[in-house]
Amino acid sequence: MTFSIKTHTATAEAITQRRYPICGWRLAPLMLLPFICVFAALFIGRYYISPADTLNALAGVVGLNRYEAASEVATLVVNVRLPRALGAAFVGMALAASGTAFQSIFKNPLTDSGLLGVSNGAGFGAAFAIVFLGGGMFVYSGAFIFGVIAVVVTYWIARIYRGTPSIMLILGGVIVSSVFSSLLSLMKYVADTDTQLPSIVYWLMGSVSSVGYESFWALIPIVLGCTILLTMSWRIDALSMGDKEARSLGVNVRAEKAVIIGAATLATAGAVCLSGAIGWVGLVIPHIGRMLTGNDNTRLLPVSMAIGSSFLVIVDTVSRTVWPSEVPLGIITALIGAPFFVHLLKKTKGGGW
Amino acid sequence: MMQDFLVEIRNLRFSYPESPEILSGIDLAIEEGRVYCLMGPNGCGKSTLLDCVLGEHKPDSGKVLVDGRSITNMKPEKIARKIAYVPQIHDRSFPYTVENVTLMGRIAYRGCFERPDDADRTIALEALQSVGIAHLADKPYTQISGGEVQLVMLARALAQKTPLIVMDEPTAHLDYKNDLRFLEIVVELVRNTGTSVLVSTHSPNQPFYFESMGLDTSILMMEEGKVERVGRPSQILTEESLRELYGIQAHILTHSDSDGKTISQVVPLRTLERSW
Repeated sequence: MTFSIKTHTATAEAITQRRYPICGWRLAPLMLLPFICVFAALFIGRYYISPADTLNALAGVVGLNRYEAASEVATLVVNVRLPRALGAAFVGMALAASGTAFQSIFKNPLTDSGLLGVSNGAGFGAAFAIVFLGGGMFVYSGAFIFGVIAVVVTYWIARIYRGTPSIMLILGGVIVSSVFSSLLSLMKYVADTDTQLPSIVYWLMGSVSSVGYESFWALIPIVLGCTILLTMSWRIDALSMGDKEARSLGVNVRAEKAVIIGAATLATAGAVCLSGAIGWVGLVIPHIGRMLTGNDNTRLLPVSMAIGSSFLVIVDTVSRTVWPSEVPLGIITALIGAPFFVHLLKKTKGGGW
Repeated sequence: MMQDFLVEIRNLRFSYPESPEILSGIDLAIEEGRVYCLMGPNGCGKSTLLDCVLGEHKPDSGKVLVDGRSITNMKPEKIARKIAYVPQIHDRSFPYTVENVTLMGRIAYRGCFERPDDADRTIALEALQSVGIAHLADKPYTQISGGEVQLVMLARALAQKTPLIVMDEPTAHLDYKNDLRFLEIVVELVRNTGTSVLVSTHSPNQPFYFESMGLDTSILMMEEGKVERVGRPSQILTEESLRELYGIQAHILTHSDSDGKTISQVVPLRTLERSW
């Protein structure tokens, strides 16, 4: 008798404990958060602009303002803060989405978006452009192209073995990453130490400070990749069961894995060429999402994307506001994110690991 | 005709690259509403045969026909609507809820860009109810016991609504009670839905159990890449055949219930001398 009562309460307790902090109606405000963050970022900066002027400048964009705000103010808001905040938002979204997808399809929670070599490839591409092509716009395209090339090579290596088993992809990624990191060192070695080397080092730390509308073409692969990942989110669930089970569930493992890897690579390469290498987001934001809303990718992916983009906008705003000279994003993502992560870990008890 | 068979295997041969042949001419027909117990010593090709039935391996020669169509030309979602799979041991990755895992059984019925709808959720919940773990639906499946995970795998297979479920030693890692519980649920399932089950097992008592519960049970006894004997457990599992196949001396006991049911069980006595 006592035994049955005991098990009964234990079960009931377990079920109530399973309510994730973010589910049901709470999803809607979370999806709005990136928009709110971008909007708020326009009002914040070291150069003080009154909220009224900021609003005026914004109204000017859509042709609504009655009286002209000072033109340098309008420029600052519309041509500096806005593209920068948008850039940060899209970069955060892309890194979080591809990190989530990679963790799931490779069944490996320690994976991030750079797993298959895209980050190192892009790093080399950027450095190559800085050293041999004189920098400028070539840095973006070099980073993008070599990021994609790295993943294609990884995939090709994995295909040598029958199918594309995850372990071969991961190994291929390690090998390709190491090759590109050697090549990157080579670029650093031959770079001019007064001009080129600092640019390479700065690029590798990651920053959205130079994002302007002229680099917004990189949003196309980001949006494309994220859209594909979102629509295939349920298939990603199945792929995380392992290749054999996924196939028995009706997933065309090889083709769908290739599409997902392609989509995540597009998104990451787009992000990396906008901002340089920003660590941490692709690895940890998915876990914050897992704690907040569970592991079901149909919910986790959009939640991770919203958190990733809000997070990066906030971090970027802090980085350009708090210190007199701007600190690269890659440095403070972890400094700001880690305490937040620990706080969540304590609150959610880890979310079922 | 051949359409009467869920799965028909004709002269199937298979070998892994640069290895000796592991399946050398398998003929097999699987009908509706029956239990097929695949038995045989380690390394005789049981798992490989199951993989061929699942479409995981391409045969070197011969055919695997599902509903009369060759499995090598079928899309994975078409196969998954005919054949579901319960693995020997599931490698748990992320703490999905039990419901989410079961829901994945519905993927074969949805397009590549679709999500589960309420009908799918209902089917998943019914599947959980029929294996008796609906109360775990909201729990992360990393926090339930190994026996319960195996039931989740079975529920996921049920949600696939297939006429055939393939199970690879599904109770190998379960404790004594969960083993029996799993078998009871399989019996219910075959009785109530007419689903066929192809299960590999090392325990000769499992086919005896299915037979004693009144299911049409066949043993497929494999040896060195061939199905050597097919028949009812009481025909195949005799003291002589156990001596021949496994090299053990065993005694077969038959127990009669008060309500007239009989169940046979193998009592292993000792291994016989072998020239190792």
